[in-house]
Amino acid sequence: MSITSPAVAASATPSTTSSPEIASVLVVTQASLSLVAGLSAIPFGIVEPGFRVLSLITIVIAIGMFWLARNLRRQRRWARRWVIALEALSLVASLLLTVLPIGAMRGPVPVLVNLVMPAAVLWLLWSRSGRAAFKKAERSDAGGAS
Amino acid sequence: MYDIAAEHAPAIAAAIALLIFLWLAVRALSVLAHRRIRWAVALVEGYLATSAVTRLAAVLMLLSGVIHLVLIPSHEGITGVLFVINGLGFIVLGVAAFFTSWWRRPALVWLVATIVAYIVWVIAGWETPDQIGIACKLIELVALGLTLRLAQPGRRTWPRRIWRAVAFPLMASVTTLGIWVGGLAHPDALHAHAGAILQPVAAVATPEQRQAAARLVSDTRASIARYQDPAAAIAAGFKPGPVSSADPLRHFENSANANAVLDPTHPQALVYAQTKHGLQLIGAMYQMKRAGQWGPDPGGPLTQWHQHEGICFSPFGFEFSFETPFWTCPVGSTSITTPPMLHVWIVDNGKLGPFAADLDKTVQKQLQGS
Repeated sequence: MSITSPAVAASATPSTTSSPEIASVLVVTQASLSLVAGLSAIPFGIVEPGFRVLSLITIVIAIGMFWLARNLRRQRRWARRWVIALEALSLVASLLLTVLPIGAMRGPVPVLVNLVMPAAVLWLLWSRSGRAAFKKAERSDAGGAS
Repeated sequence: MYDIAAEHAPAIAAAIALLIFLWLAVRALSVLAHRRIRWAVALVEGYLATSAVTRLAAVLMLLSGVIHLVLIPSHEGITGVLFVINGLGFIVLGVAAFFTSWWRRPALVWLVATIVAYIVWVIAGWETPDQIGIACKLIELVALGLTLRLAQPGRRTWPRRIWRAVAFPLMASVTTLGIWVGGLAHPDALHAHAGAILQPVAAVATPEQRQAAARLVSDTRASIARYQDPAAAIAAGFKPGPVSSADPLRHFENSANANAVLDPTHPQALVYAQTKHGLQLIGAMYQMKRAGQWGPDPGGPLTQWHQHEGICFSPFGFEFSFETPFWTCPVGSTSITTPPMLHVWIVDNGKLGPFAADLDKTVQKQLQGS
């Protein structure tokens, strides 16, 4: 009784690869925002030596996140582990800042960027389909090697 | 620095309502499809046939479309017309993503055009960036990234590879910088120095307010005169703040005075300037307990409180930078919003006056050289 058009069927992609794809797009978005944060702190580094170091660390982490996103898309298990660790750390830090009375989370933008996006990446990589995508990739890698 | 414009607030409710509606619609269609209702089966099959990437891109475009449509009443003229076109366009493309194969290229053009138009509007000063607008751009950026990922792999030439790798990060970076430039180029009347928001007050001070302001300065001067020597301040419970290479002024805070409200006998902090002969007392700082809790302003527009927001604070060296419009700070620093504060300068503060958020630069240089 299928009445799906051929065009729709042709545009469909296997759902098992969707989780890494979506997660990689979110990580690239986070990396881009971090890169700008790091670059924008450089002028402050002229008079504030601490921000020289922090901006450099931020830029390095942003570049690392681009690299992780690329390998996430290629369904590398080590990239999944690193991204889970980084996002969990980021989420815990953001949750702690939410509790502190310093106004770190006011409005939809900080909530989306600092809470929803890391939580979404974690959910995507931890979900059944996310785990399945990486296991499937591992099996196909092993099959290709043998 | 970026709040939620009151006229944009309905967008949040609309976005939540849309997500609930979509969830209910999918559940209802599933029930109808189980009952073999032909059109419901067609819709469910169309939905199930699409990848999760497509589904998410479609939902994000629908979200952006609904937000644009809800915000039409608060936008007049050509901007309002563009919001109608934009909102309807996103809804058509969001629906088309489930049932057609042609949606991807128009969606890419629509998303890029919308983001670029927002940057142009903000830089030109025709739109004030607020959290709803910025959140909407974030939604569109993620939708753009997802739509780009759905591209069929073309010829694997190096220019193509490089372009595919940098196009999306470049767009995200340009969007951030564009909003930032626009916001800084067109600050509203309540922005003092960068990162300081002023208390809304009347334009002109009454004679009574002028007298009250003068009394506050004299009372403060008389009260803190005993702390000319920093050692006396420390003995009284004031703790010296960290030395910052970016700020030649040093604040000595007294947590025991935290509950006092604009009390000259119990200021929350004393302000000293670093001179060649050591620290010189130049004023006091009154501070409220919570962010957004403006203090009493006996002098009306003369005693205008300010609070710092949109700044990244690093505990390493007590340093500050600006946070990006997407609320991100360099690693190791965090976004903070301070409770409102009011400085009372007991030295002549030039054109800025005794209650200014900042010490006059000329005065500051004179003090540093003295």
